[in-house]
Amino acid sequence: MKALINLFTYLIFPGFLFSACIGLIAGWVDRKVTARIHWRVGPPWYQNFVDIVKLLGKETIVPAGAKMTFLLAPYLGLLSLTLVAAALGSNILSPLEGFVGDLIVVLYLLVVPAVALIIGAASSRNPLASVGLSREMKLVLGYELPFILSVITVIIKSGITIQIGEIINHQINFGSNIASISGTLAFLVSIFCMQAKLGFVPFDASEAEQEIMGGVLIEYSGLPLAIFKVTKAILLYTMPLFLIILFMGKDLSPLFIIAKFVLLLVIIVLIKNTSPRVRIDQALRWFWGPMSFLASAAVILALLGK
Amino acid sequence: MCKFFSFYPYFIKDNLSNFIVLAIALFTVLTLIYSSKFMNPVRNTDRTGNNKTVSNGVKGKSGLMQYYTYIILTSIASIAAVRSNHLILLFVFWGFLGLTLYLLINMGQNSSQAAKKTFIIIGGSDALMLLGIGIIYYLSGTFMMDKIRIPLASNSILPIVAYLCIAIGCFAKAGVMPFHTWIPDSSEAAPLPVVAFLPASLDKLLGIYLLARISMDLFIMIPLINMILMVVGAFTIIAGVMMALVQHNMKRLLGYHAVSQVGYMVLGIGTGTPIGIAGGLFHMLNNAIYKQALFFSAGNVESRTGTTELDKIGGLSKVMPLTYIAALIACLSISGVPPFNGFVSKWMVYQGVISQLQFHTDKLRFIGVLCLAAAMFGSGLTLASFMKLIHAAFLGQREVSSRSNIKEVSIAMWLPGIILAIICIVFGVFANQVPLKQFILPAVSGVSFIGTWYSGLATTLIIAGLVLGILIFKLKNLAPNIREDKSYIGAEPLDLENNRVTGTEFYNTIKELKTLKPIYKRVKKGTFDIYEQGKKFTFSVAKVLQYLHNGVLPTYMVWCLLGTLALFYYLLFK
Repeated sequence: MKALINLFTYLIFPGFLFSACIGLIAGWVDRKVTARIHWRVGPPWYQNFVDIVKLLGKETIVPAGAKMTFLLAPYLGLLSLTLVAAALGSNILSPLEGFVGDLIVVLYLLVVPAVALIIGAASSRNPLASVGLSREMKLVLGYELPFILSVITVIIKSGITIQIGEIINHQINFGSNIASISGTLAFLVSIFCMQAKLGFVPFDASEAEQEIMGGVLIEYSGLPLAIFKVTKAILLYTMPLFLIILFMGKDLSPLFIIAKFVLLLVIIVLIKNTSPRVRIDQALRWFWGPMSFLASAAVILALLGK
Repeated sequence: MCKFFSFYPYFIKDNLSNFIVLAIALFTVLTLIYSSKFMNPVRNTDRTGNNKTVSNGVKGKSGLMQYYTYIILTSIASIAAVRSNHLILLFVFWGFLGLTLYLLINMGQNSSQAAKKTFIIIGGSDALMLLGIGIIYYLSGTFMMDKIRIPLASNSILPIVAYLCIAIGCFAKAGVMPFHTWIPDSSEAAPLPVVAFLPASLDKLLGIYLLARISMDLFIMIPLINMILMVVGAFTIIAGVMMALVQHNMKRLLGYHAVSQVGYMVLGIGTGTPIGIAGGLFHMLNNAIYKQALFFSAGNVESRTGTTELDKIGGLSKVMPLTYIAALIACLSISGVPPFNGFVSKWMVYQGVISQLQFHTDKLRFIGVLCLAAAMFGSGLTLASFMKLIHAAFLGQREVSSRSNIKEVSIAMWLPGIILAIICIVFGVFANQVPLKQFILPAVSGVSFIGTWYSGLATTLIIAGLVLGILIFKLKNLAPNIREDKSYIGAEPLDLENNRVTGTEFYNTIKELKTLKPIYKRVKKGTFDIYEQGKKFTFSVAKVLQYLHNGVLPTYMVWCLLGTLALFYYLLFK
């Protein structure tokens, strides 16, 4: 029975199926708003679902090279990310129980999709994919530092705990983390980290279609590509949810979650549509310079109790 | 095992040394299996097909006899050192290990320089250790380790000096900065099984064992010393991995990681919390496992391609699949990707750091947070440098000229790597059931986890998802036909000769950053190398003596005369 519940949590709600649907719809919101900004009509709400189904029916072309790695990498990235989605979702539903792991586990599992993308791209043996994966890796290095610092801020603010449920409970009792100077600073930093993690403009140098033709994804087609798209959709659901849990966990009734989610989505879309792509060294300097500085300031302020 | 009891009080058997002895035995067996093929001089053909010895300078039967004798002696001495309860006995075995290390490293071609460096660093730190042991005897009046319990206090200097002296011995053995420089040098020059056996696994076990022993049993720690250990650990993590990031040679890259990973162990032990110490010890075990697997993979690559320069190899996953699988699993483990073993121990170390934040003043908490951030970020940097390694050596574009006659190595060479990779998975997925329950938790009392990680559940779910995915994949209606095809760039078939991206220059962006550039330059010059600086200092002192000792008889006569005069003067007018 317990196993069935776990499997349900993982595969249906709030795991794979649920998060994928929300993520794809969020992706539609992004496309629609972008289209309106461009004075276009934009796609209908089911467009992303149709895209995925279409990709599933297409032929899968595998480049001569490491075939198994090439095909397995997207799966493992998706499955690890689903663990995060399930863990975060069940922590909101029942903060006292938790699902697979704590904050550090979530932080580490969130890197796995990027690792899967990198290994998959490397196994495709395309030089442009190599260029893309090196950028992706450097981007991960870039945003990891400030992101870790912001998460540490939250750990300190929540009375030094790494249980997600306890972080939520602490905020329910003592108010959201964002309602303090250190919390606000850390939140600002993590918005940029989220943007980079999602691979959206201005931090999309690893895909950069006009320049390296999709970079990491250049050799992917058909089913594996669909899996990467779904992974990205789930990430678009998971990252804002993670930020909500970390910084705005005071009121987590469904209506408030949706409102906060839409707010974060709007921020993402706004940043995406108002900035140009930055070079990877610029991104690195941005994250290791001002962002890390702000995040360190947040940590120090949190230690001082501000 | 019960025989050891008859040697009491000189040798003892306890939970901390139990699993280390087991690990030493395992690594010895695997190294012997591996060496049986690798050290065979005829087997090592280089890329052009010449029968040239590649990384072993061992020639003929007598050389091989020497090699195996040293390996087995090392193993025995290590077990004896871990088991000994008498400080002098421990020191004798410890010193003997330094000697065998020198002899083994010296067996490589052109490795005498690295061997000398190793011997001087290890020998120098051993001398400090002897000083520490002397102070301990002065303070406690006994050499029996189970009877010594010296409280450290910030106002009495002698116990702290004793602790630091012995800790420096451990640091040099395990390769903590700034006593690390012998590891990258020797891992490049020494015969590969030696590197996989000593600096990568056994020296870590020994160094961290002794550090844990003195921190847990011999001394009662104070926050100041804990902080010193934590800062040293965090610094080692970051500095080691930053150096690894820009290396071009697979063995040297692994050597720098052998340095960097020690940081986690020292950090864990430095937290002073049971969970942190347990994490540090578990990381020591894990690190030895995957580091040995990685060095074995490097050896496989070397024995087939004749080089470990990452520029000159590439795309080996197709021709050496078993080596690739072992290397990939070890890479993911060392980078701390869940659910492998490296993640569990790092996670425990982080918990140690976080839980010691709870009971400290602001200043100490600040240092703790700094160390936590450094350790977590170091893990990301580790991932980056191993992605580079995997790309450059196994995935990525194939080196065109080396395509011919590369095939998978023989069973004696891939089996140790695969065994270690399986242990990596088992120790990660069944962390609570197997390694922690059997080995680590009996050795450290009072461990309480502040986080949760159900690795078994997570792995089961991932496997269930994978099975389901493959089932959907196999469904008739959805089954997309898979076709293998050439890669194209700009509508032209891929030309690997002109369009090869090796991956060695991946992180040049980081190297060129304004703040990091001068540091990298200095490191290359040897400014932070304790051996180079020590050499400079010794030579400058020697210069003065050289000036006096110029070989001219009249000068010596003058010195004799002056000395005699001074003596007379002193005796007459005292």
